[in-house]
Amino acid sequence: MTHSTYSNPEIIDYLDQRRGKIFSNTGGWFPGKGVFSHGYSMLEELVGEKTYFQVLILNATGKLVDRPLADWVEALYGCLSWPDPRIWCNQIGALSGAVRTSVMSATAMGALAADSRIYGVLPLLESVAFIQQALIKKQQGMNAGQIVDEAFAECKASKPYIMGYRRPIAKGDERLEVMEKVGKKLGFGIGEHMLLAYEIEKTLLEKIDEGMNINGYMSAFLADQGFSPQETYQMFSMLVASGVTACYLDTYRRPPDTFLPLRCDDIDYQGPPRRAVPDVK
Amino acid sequence: MSEEFKHEQVRSRNEPFAQKTASQIWHETPAVDNPYIAASSHCYGYDLHELMHKRSYVDVIFLLFRGELPSAAQAELLQQLMIALINPGPRHAATRAAMNVGVGKTDPLHILPIATAVYAGEYSGAKEVEMSMTFIEANCERDVAVVVQENFIDTDAVERTGFGVRHGGIELRAVQLAQQLQQLDGAGNALAWGNRLAAALTPMKKNWLITSVAAAVLLDLGFSTRVGASFFQLLGAPGLLAHGLEMAGKPILAMPFVSDENYIVER
Repeated sequence: MTHSTYSNPEIIDYLDQRRGKIFSNTGGWFPGKGVFSHGYSMLEELVGEKTYFQVLILNATGKLVDRPLADWVEALYGCLSWPDPRIWCNQIGALSGAVRTSVMSATAMGALAADSRIYGVLPLLESVAFIQQALIKKQQGMNAGQIVDEAFAECKASKPYIMGYRRPIAKGDERLEVMEKVGKKLGFGIGEHMLLAYEIEKTLLEKIDEGMNINGYMSAFLADQGFSPQETYQMFSMLVASGVTACYLDTYRRPPDTFLPLRCDDIDYQGPPRRAVPDVK
Repeated sequence: MSEEFKHEQVRSRNEPFAQKTASQIWHETPAVDNPYIAASSHCYGYDLHELMHKRSYVDVIFLLFRGELPSAAQAELLQQLMIALINPGPRHAATRAAMNVGVGKTDPLHILPIATAVYAGEYSGAKEVEMSMTFIEANCERDVAVVVQENFIDTDAVERTGFGVRHGGIELRAVQLAQQLQQLDGAGNALAWGNRLAAALTPMKKNWLITSVAAAVLLDLGFSTRVGASFFQLLGAPGLLAHGLEMAGKPILAMPFVSDENYIVER
């Protein structure tokens, strides 16, 4: 049995130098001097001067964006704050309210549930990367149909799809036209990624009767604004939180046990039949 | 928006959602006069009270996740693993998160969800176990020399494989744990292959990590990758909670608060 860790002394020395210290690339609070975020004095340059969503995007990406873009992101948050407890993350809020969990626990846990492979925030990593790579392919001479064919060939799912161009429950997405109006009102044009996203949507509607969803739309829009997949993911970490809170309140105000009550036999037991427990040999 | 980009009309997919939620795990028999109250509960067919009477907690937790009661050898292997993983220790990031919850006077009922969420990490957490299980499962029939060549030459493969170094050195406890568990009757191919890989890595000053030992044992116990990683998260929960609760009873001054002099903004 080995008792030596065969350690690299340089790493031990490096770690020792950092004991009891915090090194930050972001900022911090220095009592009596101020609070700083990415080089800005929060209390002198940000609070009251910039909107909460400008601060949120700054903290999430390090970029202080102009007001119109922050307003666009804020509007997008509104698109994902529906008070409908049938949506999986929102139902965590409703179930929490039904059993009187704290509203903070409900909201935080519901927001976490949107870290899903099929809905919510996590798919942004894939959909922003897709549209960015698709634009490179277009610039290299491929058209939307060829880009879709290539994506389908690489897709391992039984029904091929492209992240951002398919949605559970419904086909189509009523939020696209709303966000298009918001974008126009805020002075945004159609960038290269968005133009390609529309071309891809047109192709997909013809091929498999699937259109763009809000995820695909926001991915193309934010790619046009120069954000990476990871920055986009970071920017929307609490995207669904408000809808979860709304669903919490509805059940919190109702008697316990009354949200989607289940009889014992409402669970369809499909396991082994009853059997005797064997004694431990 | 121009006509060219007109979107489709929103319409329901009318997907065939199940009418009832199905489960193979648990069967509740209703009381004769109230369909909402369970008169008895069965886990994979076994009456819960009979399980309480005849079997250990380790047996029943194995049953809950694997669907069958363990053999004596499996139960012994799982029990030793559960003890080994019962506490990630006071220096693990997840435990420190638990302590922050406690000392910060957050409701102690939030300690467990917060700390176990941190324990899901890709580095020394449950996600690393998942990746390690995938790595071992894919390679454990292959020659370790080839696997070393493919994965450990000029690369830092820790997060993908679960084998390597922590804090610049070999994790002694992981090596000892693997050697101890290897002696048990329930140890299988994954642990044996991992030991051969660790031996091949030793000249490179790399070895087992706690996450890869857990990954190998969970594979030998028949856990799938998805179940195994989440199960690892569960097994660390007692220690996370204990440390959080310990701090919950202490004043907020009981943990260090980095001074302004030691808070260095690098910009």
